[in-house]
Amino acid sequence: MPGISVIIPTHSRPKLLPRAIESARAAGTDVEIIVVDDASADETAAACRELADIKYVRLDRNQGVAGARNVGILVSRGEFITFLDDDDLRLPDSLDLQAKALDANPEVGFVCGAMIMADQNYQPTGEVTGPRHSSGDVFRPILELDFAVMGLSTLIRKECLLRAGLLKRHLVGIDDWDLFARLAELYPVFVMDEPVGIYRQPTPGSGQGSSARAIQLGRVVRHQLQLLQLPRAMALSGKERREIRCCLVNRVADTLLWNAARRVPYGEFDYACENIAVALKLNPLRALRPGAYKKLLETWADKAFVN
Amino acid sequence: MPRTSIIIATRNRPQFVSRAVDSARASGKDVEVIVVDDASSEETAKVCDALADITYIRVERRLGLGGARNVGMVSSRGEYISFLDDDDLRLEGTLDQQIELLEKEPSAGLIYARANVTNTEGGALYSYPTDCLQGDLFWKLLTQNFIPCGSVVFRRSCLSRIGLLDDDSPGIEDWDLWVRIAELYPITSLRAPVIVWRKSTPTSGQLTSQAAQIVTASIRQFRRWMKLPRALGASREMKQTAWHGFSENMAEHLLCECLRALRHGKLDQPLKNLSLIPRLDPLTVMRLARHRFLRLGGPDLQTL
Repeated sequence: MPGISVIIPTHSRPKLLPRAIESARAAGTDVEIIVVDDASADETAAACRELADIKYVRLDRNQGVAGARNVGILVSRGEFITFLDDDDLRLPDSLDLQAKALDANPEVGFVCGAMIMADQNYQPTGEVTGPRHSSGDVFRPILELDFAVMGLSTLIRKECLLRAGLLKRHLVGIDDWDLFARLAELYPVFVMDEPVGIYRQPTPGSGQGSSARAIQLGRVVRHQLQLLQLPRAMALSGKERREIRCCLVNRVADTLLWNAARRVPYGEFDYACENIAVALKLNPLRALRPGAYKKLLETWADKAFVN
Repeated sequence: MPRTSIIIATRNRPQFVSRAVDSARASGKDVEVIVVDDASSEETAKVCDALADITYIRVERRLGLGGARNVGMVSSRGEYISFLDDDDLRLEGTLDQQIELLEKEPSAGLIYARANVTNTEGGALYSYPTDCLQGDLFWKLLTQNFIPCGSVVFRRSCLSRIGLLDDDSPGIEDWDLWVRIAELYPITSLRAPVIVWRKSTPTSGQLTSQAAQIVTASIRQFRRWMKLPRALGASREMKQTAWHGFSENMAEHLLCECLRALRHGKLDQPLKNLSLIPRLDPLTVMRLARHRFLRLGGPDLQTL
């Protein structure tokens, strides 16, 4: 029985997929790689046939990322599970490192590391995003969106995942956040400062995930109300719950304005408008803060400088 | 490796669990029984600890039937999968009979059979469905769920083509799965009862007694089914016939539940039920009335 199952949902990206698979293989010694092809219409199936030593599952009906990940869990046999997107990379030996941490801390539900941010060509931008919290109970930081956690940066104990429940298909784009919040409600989390993966960021001008981000953040704000119904959140005082809520709403509003400011110099006005509209709806006063305008000037200066 | 996994999702009904587990085990050989405890109080865990030879999984936070069954499927190992509700019973030896039939038809994805319906005291009422259709049932299943959930045995390989149960359609997640299986696979059946099914009354607190919620969820799900490739590729007439059939069955269900609730002296539920009818096809009620008057031999509304 393999120790670690790496679940890679993929949809119509046969060019990027082999690189993700190779990185996963180099990340651990006892690894089972599961590629779930979410009803791709192109040559993904043919590309996967050429790859040795992977478990290939083909969905004939598109299930979305969460549905595909769940099917990956269905066929997985490992004691630990991690999710990898088809355009992201795992760092060498990172899975072994995280598995060791799970073995050493049997009470922990999942272990979370940092991520190296990269551009569309996998070139590091110099930014490293990590959880910035210490190990233990991180339920509240996750609820406040203050804890950078993604499938890429984590290794989950399968037993805990089953006790918390699988990913929820209807939470498009935020299914992993929901899962980690539910896990952190039940179990302590082990935090590592080392980077474990490379995240291929959508950059301004790339068009990747351009308008999806605003919608996704809107979903985060709505779904937090559901997560605040979890028993441990209900046990908090009304004041604390309001604080958590307020913290998330403001953070999301800031992010949206910041994103808008970053895109305006590239002429992506509809994207910027959408972001600003959602931000204003969340907290109208937040738009008056100078932070976003500073970002706007900076990006403009950068762009002018590069040109 | 076991041949079949029977998944029993349960929540706060420890008095029924061991009966259901025993019946599941007696229904066939090489069976793995998985009990998923959907965040019940402690008593269920105690009852399950006393049961030998089951896989017991406790889910810490309530997931609902679909979510709990998904957890069960993920932990199961059988080549065939079957669900059993905690208050239903499997009849002895029936699982083997069904698998034998399913193995004779390698293209079929799923086999179902009849359910003996009893009232809450255990008295036999009737057995359904009477005709046990077979073959390509996609369009038929879109209009009505005539498949008793506990009677189904399906292949595990179906799941890796169509995905797991939908966790966002409470009360009809099984129907949704049958539709998605029927879209890709023919369906076969055994014309004999294989489970005993306890009929709910408006006061028994079972999920199936909340007709208005089920119908609302069904209408939403019907729109999703219409986006499945086979429905998208079908003619307008085909889709319209399906919508008419669906509307008629939903309206009939709502009216039946109305009468049932009225007889139990409840007034709020009938109003909620009736308020849903305008969301269905506008001519439904007229058509339903016409059918009722012409087809006097059919089952009477009062007896259902």
